[in-house]
Amino acid sequence: MKRFGLVLSSLSFVLLLTCNVFAQDVLKLGIPLPLTGTNAKFGEIEKKAYEIAMEEINAKGGIKGKKVVLEFEDSQGKPEVSRSIVERLIDVKKQPVVFGEYSSSSSKAVAAVAEERKVPYLVVTGATDDITQQNYKYVFRMNPTNNYYTVGLMSFLKEIVKPKSIAILYESSDFGTSGAEDMVLQAKKYGMEVLVKEQYEKGAVDFKPILSKVKAAAPDVIYMVSYVMDAALLMRQIKELRIDAKLYAGGAAGFAIPEFIQNAKEASELVITATLWSPQVKYAGAGAFAEKYKKLHQDYPSYHGAEAYSALYIIKDVLDRAKSWSADDIRDAFRKTNMMTAFGPIKFEDKEGYTNQNFMDTLVMQVIKGKHATIWPQKYASEKYVYPIPRWRDRK
Amino acid sequence: MAQLELFLQTIISGFLLGGLYGLIALGMALIMGVMRVINLAHGDFMMIAMYISYWLFTLLGIDPYLSVFIAAPALFLFGLVIQKYLMTPVMKVESILPHNQVIMTVGLAMVFSNLATVMFTGNYRSTPVSYASSAWYLTDYWKGSPIELSLSMPWTLSFIMAVLITIALWIFLMKTDMGKSIRATAQDLDAALLMGVNVDWVRMVTFGIGLVLVAAAGCVFLPIYYLYPALGKQFTNVGFVITVIGGMGSTHGAVIGGLILGLFESMTATYIGMGWAPAGRFGIFVAALVFLPGGIASILRKRRLEE
Repeated sequence: MKRFGLVLSSLSFVLLLTCNVFAQDVLKLGIPLPLTGTNAKFGEIEKKAYEIAMEEINAKGGIKGKKVVLEFEDSQGKPEVSRSIVERLIDVKKQPVVFGEYSSSSSKAVAAVAEERKVPYLVVTGATDDITQQNYKYVFRMNPTNNYYTVGLMSFLKEIVKPKSIAILYESSDFGTSGAEDMVLQAKKYGMEVLVKEQYEKGAVDFKPILSKVKAAAPDVIYMVSYVMDAALLMRQIKELRIDAKLYAGGAAGFAIPEFIQNAKEASELVITATLWSPQVKYAGAGAFAEKYKKLHQDYPSYHGAEAYSALYIIKDVLDRAKSWSADDIRDAFRKTNMMTAFGPIKFEDKEGYTNQNFMDTLVMQVIKGKHATIWPQKYASEKYVYPIPRWRDRK
Repeated sequence: MAQLELFLQTIISGFLLGGLYGLIALGMALIMGVMRVINLAHGDFMMIAMYISYWLFTLLGIDPYLSVFIAAPALFLFGLVIQKYLMTPVMKVESILPHNQVIMTVGLAMVFSNLATVMFTGNYRSTPVSYASSAWYLTDYWKGSPIELSLSMPWTLSFIMAVLITIALWIFLMKTDMGKSIRATAQDLDAALLMGVNVDWVRMVTFGIGLVLVAAAGCVFLPIYYLYPALGKQFTNVGFVITVIGGMGSTHGAVIGGLILGLFESMTATYIGMGWAPAGRFGIFVAALVFLPGGIASILRKRRLEE
């Protein structure tokens, strides 16, 4: 009973505090993010990036004179939890606009709630194609979809590598499956033969059986759609089995963040990856954000960070322009968005079967001497690509 | 030739993986045999040992394989404490559900993984040892070999460690007084009590040894895998499936069951598809429950009777 009293008093204290904050002119925005569970790593990056954007925006007077206060809600990477968080944000807290979430599965769940409640939702990182293919009126997506992740990569393959065959390995999630399906289509378009297409359960320990199969098929390119630790294990075991392909390519996510290099060590050398963003890319504000993030958190942010950082600026831009903060006015403001962010140009368009989707250039990075360098398209390149790559037995 | 190479490489992978799986299941089976409790926090104890091993590597530069000698005793003591102050009291409480201890282990699992998230964040970690992707190659030793096979150095080291630890456990159970008391308690609790075995103490030691085994498994897994707070569940599942295949509580069964599961998963991955491995795992789990309720242990027992 004593403990209950303690809980009660601390609760009321917290309530008192929040009431105080509310007394000033503040805009509270709840953001669902995976802060625990297997996707916690990415949730963490985004949280830090949102916080940087929040401070910058507040320093310049907030949104329409209101101070922005972000409240992060842990969705544990589970779609059903994200769903209930967003239901609460909309129904109880009457939040005028929703944004956030990390994985495709969770973003999809949130999109369904937002559309049903007619509240605009900005998808920040969820990449499966169908989120913006369902003719949703209130769902906007700033990141390119899976189908467009690889535009840059494909042009690199076509112009430099000219492969005839490909093996595709992917994790059995929404993200992995749609990335792989897209690569199959692209491969067909460029006349590459798909020799192996294998999915695996995330968190697998031993990839050697399927890698042996890949080795027996001897493809020109090995393309992998994985999150970070699977990516590192895959490359380590590829090196171990000495599978010599002309090129090892990753479809963003796990291959594009520094942890990949830290964990795969020399097995990561010369691996290329599609990516949406890199700290050296020449967009206004990108470098400044990257340096600020590095100063605060010791590491450069991944593209997820840039997306989250820019997302809050988009929300600011939209809320500043909206005639009123009713759902329909906010939606109209979203549709008229045309701005430059640290993540790149943002404009929501209806084309090729997508609704309210942002389309933009994607980049290719390569691990050169233990560091990610932007190598493609050449106008954004920070270093010259290394190709052809040596066989494993010839490497040190 | 390529097909033969593929087949042999698959067998090698399966065998190495199976040995490690066996080590995880061994501790679970031992605890199950003596206490009739499924330790559903088994994987989370493994996670704790892996964090110990990780920090020893990161801060002091101690090789993960050597950290077994620190992590295992630490978890032994931890096991004694948990058994004495959490499991034994729970056993004495009367309740509607007969398996309060199992529920206790589920609770422990949640507490551990959440505590680890709070203390160490959700970051993925690994110990990038210099030999992480080293391997021995058949063509390096036999130049004219028509096929190329490779044997991963860390996987092989881990496998050898697992075998040594299993042998050590076997000697302990067969040759020492404590080992005999543990076996007696597992075979017949009442008889053991009547013979003057201090059952409470035996239970504590058993739980401790169970954790020593899983700590060792954690330390040998770290160089070939990685670490994050929620990792336990996956390995608890593996251990549980193997314990059932092996025949609940049988340590021999656990080792053989581990090898079977490892080979089965590798074969499925190569010849059916890696996405099917988890489904297949639970397929044999159900099949074992239905067609071989006593597990591999029952086959072993039958053979012994026939001799």
